[in-house]
This record gives sequence, structure tokens and C-alpha cells, in this order.
Amino acid sequence: MKPGTFATVFSQRETVKGHFLMTVKAPASFREAIPGQFIMVRLEGSTPPFLSRPFSIYSIYSQGNDTFVEIFYKVVGKGTLAFSRLQEGDALNILGPLGRGFDIPPSCKKIVLIAGGIGVAPLSFLAQHCGEDTRGTEIICYLGAGSLETVAGLDRLEKICSAVEISTDDGSRGYHGPVTGLFKRDMGLYPEDTTWIYSCGPRPMLRGLQKLLKDQPCVCQVSLEERMACGIGACLGCVVSLRPDGAEGSLVRVCKEGPVFDIRDVEFGE
Amino acid sequence: MNVRMGVDIGGLTLKNPVMTASGTFGYGEEYAGYLDLNRLGAIVVKGLSLNPREGNPPPRIIETASGMLNAVGLQNVGVKEFIDKKLPYLRTIEPAVVANIFGESVEDYVKVAQILSDAKGVDALEVNISCPNVRRGGIAFGSDPTLAGEVTKAVKGVSRLPVIVKLTPNVTDITEIARSVEAAGADALSLINTLTGMSIDIEKRVPHLEHVTGGLSGPAIKPVALRMVWETVNAVSIPVIGVGGIMNASDAIEFLIAGARAVQVGTANFINPSVAVDIIDGIERYLLDNNIDDIHDLIGTLRI
Repeated sequence: MKPGTFATVFSQRETVKGHFLMTVKAPASFREAIPGQFIMVRLEGSTPPFLSRPFSIYSIYSQGNDTFVEIFYKVVGKGTLAFSRLQEGDALNILGPLGRGFDIPPSCKKIVLIAGGIGVAPLSFLAQHCGEDTRGTEIICYLGAGSLETVAGLDRLEKICSAVEISTDDGSRGYHGPVTGLFKRDMGLYPEDTTWIYSCGPRPMLRGLQKLLKDQPCVCQVSLEERMACGIGACLGCVVSLRPDGAEGSLVRVCKEGPVFDIRDVEFGE
Repeated sequence: MNVRMGVDIGGLTLKNPVMTASGTFGYGEEYAGYLDLNRLGAIVVKGLSLNPREGNPPPRIIETASGMLNAVGLQNVGVKEFIDKKLPYLRTIEPAVVANIFGESVEDYVKVAQILSDAKGVDALEVNISCPNVRRGGIAFGSDPTLAGEVTKAVKGVSRLPVIVKLTPNVTDITEIARSVEAAGADALSLINTLTGMSIDIEKRVPHLEHVTGGLSGPAIKPVALRMVWETVNAVSIPVIGVGGIMNASDAIEFLIAGARAVQVGTANFINPSVAVDIIDGIERYLLDNNIDDIHDLIGTLRI
């Protein structure tokens, strides 16, 4: 039984423009979370927003008997704006961990992370997880942002990854152009059979990555974001169209069958 | 100390008046990890059609003021897979199982009703004549007293189970439909289904929902639902189940006082998956606090 549970905001700060890092004190059951899983968060009381919001888990850690869940998010609407105003000690209700996380390779030489904007959140958790368990695995991160003010999650990744390559849409920092363009430049460096790629970001970026990897046999898992009401497979609001090789297309739930999918199976649309 | 919570809905016996509404509780098992399913009076499963349906393309939901719009489009596994894959689990738990059914023609309704009526473990049928989400679907039946009566009579004719007819609020006078359905032999009524609505993205100037319109649910619709339940209770003599925006025990109690014999909890399940049990506990506490030892002494006690 894991019903929704009360939690309190332990700390919250704006790391880069419009991006907030919130630490929530949570029950010990959250320690079982694996990278790529998410939680549903709602504000207590009758104030808006009405529905819970899904957030990727950015990190889980324990201190003494306490368990902390970190979420890292960008303010994009009413819900995230309300969350960004929370302060230490404020009450929340959280449900999780939910969904199917990333598959962690038993052994591989290189892990490549390709993050678009706040898509960095689940990938950073994955990097942390794989970084703790070093068997000579090299983690390289490609981090895309709009401009230098919004490069999100960099500090932590620099500590974990062997290299972090940055791209910005306006060229104000690093490579000038989409993060997929930056990754394309280096693609030849990664042996297909010993590299695992993980990505999260806006749909157009993931669509671009899918095209890039079309003829590459390496594994690439993506974490998708979708509007959802329940997070547990009941509302059927968060469906995405999958079309695995040769199979007929079908709609599956991002919250239950995902949020992590093989990039080749997803129909990103136009 | 004990209060009697059991009710009878036109031949369907419930240990308490709290049911989970169709389309908000999957096939029950989705919620197994989040609450004690055995506490529930009944589970109304996701609407079933003769053949599986994929539903509408996304985006399918959008939050609105005190509610949400959905245009899921009656996605479901179809009646055969329901019986083979979903019903066995439901048979292992205590709550009554109500199969919600819909179709695009009277013949469809009859076929689905026939199949489910013979399935072991189904305790009642709830006939959706009201879902506004499918262009060719229920709307025509639910908004016309003659058609509503026709489909009710046809389903009743082939079903050995109690038949509950779920009414749409998207009509001029819901009591007119209610009377017609009662005359056609319905054992009970449930109301209301969602109210048709829409929402627009002003940056892109497109509807938020791919289907353009959707069904509004949540606390935004509760006053409308309560008014319609009260009007219907006064217009028919068969039991009425109150549905629409119930978020907590006090909402549920309002419907009972208005005359509903039972209630269905819908959208609230999305926000708090264990809310139905909180509502059962809350009703019990209210009865105790008010020295009422049988829920029937609360139902329909509105003073005007």
C-alpha cells in the first residue's frame, strides 16, 4: 500500500532563471525510487491547481532517518508557479515513486546523456546512480539550453560526468544550435555496441534525435513528459503513440508503460 | 456504535453507498496498491463496448477552474478482454461490480448487455447513454426521451441483472429523460455524466484538447449535479445515484440528503487515490455524530 502521503518542503531555491530546486522531506519508502521514475505532487488545501503535477525525481538521499526527494523544475504554468512560491515547512502531498524507470546497463563503456532544458532532471539522477557504481563507465552529458542564463543542472553534472558539453540556441554559451547538433558532431566517438544513450527534453528535440539514431543500433531510452491527472494508469489522459518495428501503432500510458521508452518506438508526430 | 450503511439500488445490494465512477477507477486493480478495495460499496468499471476502442488522440485532458476536461474517447479493452483478463481479479474482491456499457446502436448495447449479463462476477449494468466524447456515440440516446427509453427497454429485455441508466446533464430537462427511462423499465438512475465544455490555448489559438470539446468534471460541476439529482429524485420513484464533483464526505452527504440512495466518486480518485475510503469513513462519522444509526434515516431528509 502506498497511498498519497503528506510531505513538507525542506528547502527551495531558484538555481537559474525560472528553474527551481525543491527538496521535500518524504517517507522512507521513496528510497526505492529508480532513475526515470516520477512523483505526483499536489498542494494541500482547496487552492488551485486542482490536479496533481508529475515531476521527475532529480535525486533521493537519506540523512539519518530522514529521506529527501529532490525535484528540479521549470516554471511553465499555473501549477509550477504555485509550487515555486512554496517555502520551507510548507505542506505538500506526494505520491510515488511511479512509472517505469530507465534500464541500467549491466556493463557498458560509455553512457551518453542528452538533455534539453529541464529534461536534465531525470538524467542527472541517472548519472548520479551510475556514477556511484563505477566499473570504468564513462558518463558524457550533452546539455542544451536557450541561452547561458538557463543552462540548468550544470554544477551537479560536472561533478559526476567525465565531460559536459553545452549548447545554447542563441550561441551565448558553448555550441551554437540545438543539442542534437552538438551530439551529431561527436557521434562517431561512441562505439555502437558499448554505448547507451539516454535523453529527455522537448518533443522536437527528441524527434531530431530519433532521426539521427535511425540507422544506429545503439540503445537509446527517452523519458517523456505528458499532461496527466492521476499518474497511476486510470485517467488515460497521458497516452502516447508507439509504433515498434513492424508492429501496428498503439496508444500507451506515459505514467504506467512509461515514462521511459525506447526512442525508436515513439511516434513524435509532426 | 455500529451504523447501518447498506443500501439497495434496484436489486443491487451494497454494503455502503460509496461507489467509484466509471472511467475514473480503471478496472479496479489499478488502485489496489492505494486503498483497501474491499471497503468500497461498488466499483463501476471503465465503459465497455463490444469491440476494443483506442479512444481519441492526445492531448486528452486539461485542467480547468476547479475541475478538468477530458476527451479520452471511451478507450477500453472491449467486453471480451474485460471478461477474460479483468473480471477474474474483480471476482476476488468484495465490492459489487457494475459494468458500465455503451454502444453506437441499440443492437450494440443489447449484445454487450447480453454478454455481461451471463458473465460470472458482474452484479449490475450501468448503461451510458450520455457520454459526450464520441462524435457518433451516446449523445443522441441520452438527449432524446424516446431514444433513451428505447435503449433502456432493449437492455432490460436481455439482462438478468439490475440495470442502472446513467444520464447526461446536457439536456434541457433531465427529469423528462429520467421519467422516460423509468417507464422503460430501468431499475435505477445515475447522474450526472460530464458537462460538455472546451478550453482554448490563446497563444496558439487552438483548442487544448485534440478532440476540441470534452467532458467537464470535478467540483466545478457539483452544484449542477446536486440540483439535477434533487429534481430527478422528486420526479421518479426508482433509486437515484448521485454523481458529479464529489471530493469529500460532506459533498457525498449533500447528495444523500438531496435524496440520492448512493453516490459515485469520480475525478477525486485521480487527485487522491484513497479518497473513496476517506469518504466512507467520513459518512460513518457524520452518522455517529448525528445519532443516526441507519443511512436510510439520512437519505432524502432535505428540509425546504
